[in-house]
Amino acid sequence: MASKYETFAALHVPGDPVILYNIWDVGSALAVVAAGAKALATGSHPVADANGWPDGQQVPLDFAFANAKRIVDAVDLPLTVDFEGAYSVDPAEGGANVARLKETGAVGCNFEDQVIGGEGVHPLDLQVKRISTIREAVGGDFYINARTDLFLKTQTYDDALVDQVVERGKAFADAGASGFFVPRLADPKQIERVVREVPLPLNVIAFPGAPDKKIWADAGVARISHGPFPHRALMAKLTEMAPGAIS
Amino acid sequence: MSKFEDFAKLHVAGDPLVLFNVWDAGSAAAVAKSGPKAIATGSASVAMANGFGDGQKVPMDFAIANAARVVEAVDLPVTVDFEGGYAVEPVAAGRNVARLVETGAIGCNLEDQIVGTDELYSIADQAARIAAVREAVGSDFFINARTDIFLKAATDTHDEALVDAAIERARAYADAGASGFFVPMLGNLKLLERMCTHSPLPVNFMTFPGCPSNADVAAVGAARISHGPFPYMALMDKLREMAREALA
Repeated sequence: MASKYETFAALHVPGDPVILYNIWDVGSALAVVAAGAKALATGSHPVADANGWPDGQQVPLDFAFANAKRIVDAVDLPLTVDFEGAYSVDPAEGGANVARLKETGAVGCNFEDQVIGGEGVHPLDLQVKRISTIREAVGGDFYINARTDLFLKTQTYDDALVDQVVERGKAFADAGASGFFVPRLADPKQIERVVREVPLPLNVIAFPGAPDKKIWADAGVARISHGPFPHRALMAKLTEMAPGAIS
Repeated sequence: MSKFEDFAKLHVAGDPLVLFNVWDAGSAAAVAKSGPKAIATGSASVAMANGFGDGQKVPMDFAIANAARVVEAVDLPVTVDFEGGYAVEPVAAGRNVARLVETGAIGCNLEDQIVGTDELYSIADQAARIAAVREAVGSDFFINARTDIFLKAATDTHDEALVDAAIERARAYADAGASGFFVPMLGNLKLLERMCTHSPLPVNFMTFPGCPSNADVAAVGAARISHGPFPYMALMDKLREMAREALA
């Protein structure tokens, strides 16, 4: 029988992407399970918003672990956790933190290259070192969804930027990443190129006004997640439902 | 004026304070945007959102930390559903509620069911618990004393005798230092009117699917209307719908 890690990895099929509708706590996990999901993914931003912290590793590490554990304990589906920058720039410390995350029962995590609390993204050689150290710390089965924030950090989505994205994707693959995540990458032509040149399943984020999922699937996407948008939309509904001062 | 007095003043028979119950900082912020006068948590919602059973299965440290995050997230007064005070014994319950006060919460619900059983505390025992809580928290805190007498009896058995038993509890709880009286699942307007007329404390009505309208509840004298777990449950239905659409 396939391990939970293998089951999760096998869901990443280019052209037939696994859809992850991001959650933030046990209750939201159960609702998404009931909707027929194949796997669950937390979003760091919703976990932060739901609990009154800003995003960017402001959710205390112990809370993040405990929250992940509660979700794992409540559902049978594989859970991947948005773990931002593993709560440390230092490769060894980051590796130790992801190893602790694995102990919650999560099958994978997002791991991003932006400088949290600073500007831009980490130099490629440092990011590669961070990923390979995490891989060493967690063993071969854990799904490391290596994210580049190059698109998030700019407004100019041109070919030169895609060159850099491809360069990162290839290096992340060599370092032991399982998947490649490029938030805000949306153009089908650019997606096709990344899929062709980077030897990892590609994850993009659906956002309000994004192209139809079918278009992304046809371009070779293997995973579509929803980032902070489910929580935001749901909280807008709650504001609408609330009767205010008088009803 | 103290924050307790500000909050207590919102309880007006006939013009009730409406509380749309929340469970975390995010839901508190979302409800705060709708323009309410105060925020209330619901213990069942907090439990469901975090994978715990209801009935003080949410660890007390979690409940208190969650309350602190809610208080931090909004500028409104926050009242916390604190179930049975996480203790049977009066002094221990008082000590626990005193910890809740430190979060900045302005009040709490304190119920008279013996958590984990189908029984209620005797009137004397519950009055002693309320008195101990009052002593522990001082005067600047709204103790919303809840009776589960209607919750524990099938709705079609609710009658004037049961209301009179509740009124007896309301009087004893008022004497013990309670600030409000909460009667979940009392949904019959005639009986609610009797309750409101005779209660020495402002009466809190809880909505439920199929219950009378807020206007009708206000008209018979309710001073506070809360929504228990229903906002959470309705919102999770919504999330399921949204997810189903996204996963299709």
